[in-house]
Amino acid sequence: MEMLCLKDIAPAAQNNINTQFILLDKGRANLEGGQTKTCLALVADETAAVHFQFWGDECDAFKPGDIIRLSNGIFSYNRNSLVLRAGKKGSIEKVGEFTMAYVETPNMSEIKWVPDPNNSRTYVQEAVISAYSRVFPPVL
Amino acid sequence: MAANLLRIATHEAENQLALSLRQAFLLLESNLRPPFPLTIPTSEEYQVLNCAILYGILTQPHHAKTHIKHLHAVVSDGYAFFVNLLVQVTNELLEKLVDSARNQLLWVTGEMVDVSAVGFDALLVSLLRQVVGGDFTDGNLWLCFEVATLFLSKWDSLLEEEPMVLTSGLYAFLRLLADHCRVSSRNSKLEALVRLEIEFCLKMLREQFHLCLKVGRDVIRLLQDLHHMPEFQAVWRDLVLNPTVFGTSGFLGIAQFYSTRTSSRYFLLRIPPMMETHLRFLLTQVKLGGQKRHQAWFASKYLFSPDRETLICDIVRFICCTHHPTKEIIQSDIIPRWAVIGWLLKFCRKNYVEANAKLALFYNWLFFDERADKLMDIEPAVLLMVCSVPKYVEITNSLLEFLFLLVDNYDMEHKEMITRGVLSSFNCLISKGVIHTFDVLTSSGVIFPLLRERLATFLLGMKAGIAKELRPIGPS
Repeated sequence: MEMLCLKDIAPAAQNNINTQFILLDKGRANLEGGQTKTCLALVADETAAVHFQFWGDECDAFKPGDIIRLSNGIFSYNRNSLVLRAGKKGSIEKVGEFTMAYVETPNMSEIKWVPDPNNSRTYVQEAVISAYSRVFPPVL
Repeated sequence: MAANLLRIATHEAENQLALSLRQAFLLLESNLRPPFPLTIPTSEEYQVLNCAILYGILTQPHHAKTHIKHLHAVVSDGYAFFVNLLVQVTNELLEKLVDSARNQLLWVTGEMVDVSAVGFDALLVSLLRQVVGGDFTDGNLWLCFEVATLFLSKWDSLLEEEPMVLTSGLYAFLRLLADHCRVSSRNSKLEALVRLEIEFCLKMLREQFHLCLKVGRDVIRLLQDLHHMPEFQAVWRDLVLNPTVFGTSGFLGIAQFYSTRTSSRYFLLRIPPMMETHLRFLLTQVKLGGQKRHQAWFASKYLFSPDRETLICDIVRFICCTHHPTKEIIQSDIIPRWAVIGWLLKFCRKNYVEANAKLALFYNWLFFDERADKLMDIEPAVLLMVCSVPKYVEITNSLLEFLFLLVDNYDMEHKEMITRGVLSSFNCLISKGVIHTFDVLTSSGVIFPLLRERLATFLLGMKAGIAKELRPIGPS
């Protein structure tokens, strides 16, 4: 089970992302489709940041500063925003707190991805939309 | 089936220590009741057996006596491995243990003291560190009561086997008393706890004074916060007027405490292991300019209520005297100690909390002797004063003013000693190159003129060593 750095994740339709990151900030919970609670968050590791989407009871189980391990996660478009999440086949758990350095740029969700001309099932980076999250600006 | 050891939160990874204890227990469960196997275990088997017995003791109170007899029968290392497991459980899991397991942990600690197990003093220190300052929840006060009871009920064993652990108790309980006494409406449980803490501290001061002396100057700092208590007023009177009554030959007075630097390990007693890990991470991995989020998380975890502000002076003491960064860290872009202390000082909402925090920052200045003291203890204070000019000059003014207040008022009987200490501090900071000049303090227009003049006068004393006179310095 290969652990990825956040800078190495790319959008895909598969649940294949195993990684570890620290939760920087959490937005308010929304009701998606009127049924499931979801919550957008900013997470990061030493290499990059990304938007993470918590689902259901995950929303209340984690707080900023928590270090989280994601198994079999998926990085894909959910209603036009590119988010990392556990998905149906993945899971997240808290493995620690506080003791992780991080960067807030690049943000993998704020990048324009296009299909790889050589392999249409994978994506490559085409352009940077924003150096930092537009939803969770850096705290200065 | 074994009862649970821990209260488990959802979405939390299983703790490795708890897992290995449980796995050992499940593996050896059938061997944990008499007749015990008589084969001599290999070193690895011995360790697994220790883990299994510990899990049994913590989760099966009704079989605990059997488990401990088993341990006594197989022990081959003076209980060193078993006690080390207990230390790890205390450091990592105490907060999450279910109530019955917590009771068992305290019980088995007493058993380890009774057999003079190797490392039982480290276990008692771990327990002391888990009693959190400013935490008045039932669980925390219960723990404090149990640990204080242990220290008192096992006094004779502790004194005979590991007397220095009694000094750790003294530091911790003197410090905790200051918090416990401030609570105005004390319930009967807190009253009982306070009485126990007083009993222990007075017993140390009256019967083992020579041990108290070894702790050094911070004993006086801690005793000061208790001077309003009738039980300690007699101690103060004797310290000041009648030192020979303590029966320690050669003890002539408080100055002897002042000239003994309190060892760094005492300050660790008031910092729980997780807080220590987080503080050290902040000071070794987080860059200056990028500390805001980590600081916010630290504050929300440890300083979330006015009661918890009391921890600030303990954290300042730890940062100054226990965490000394390497040269590489000092020269890097990692957030320096003075910046973290500056941030902490802003949390203090109550005057006495702020005063205690500043005293904690300057305490080693007051009696500084280059031969016995450490430069790194006094470095953060001067850098905080200098680096706050001009953007945060109110900090510089407030600290300078406080420093001179201390020189004039901290202990008027020993004003000369204190003046010498502060002069030595300034001298050492310059001679060792922590700062190159005091000009930024003596010449800056944004620092109060009276403070600038006082400082200039003071520094003349550093150069001349004779009585000084006022002299205007720079543009006013």
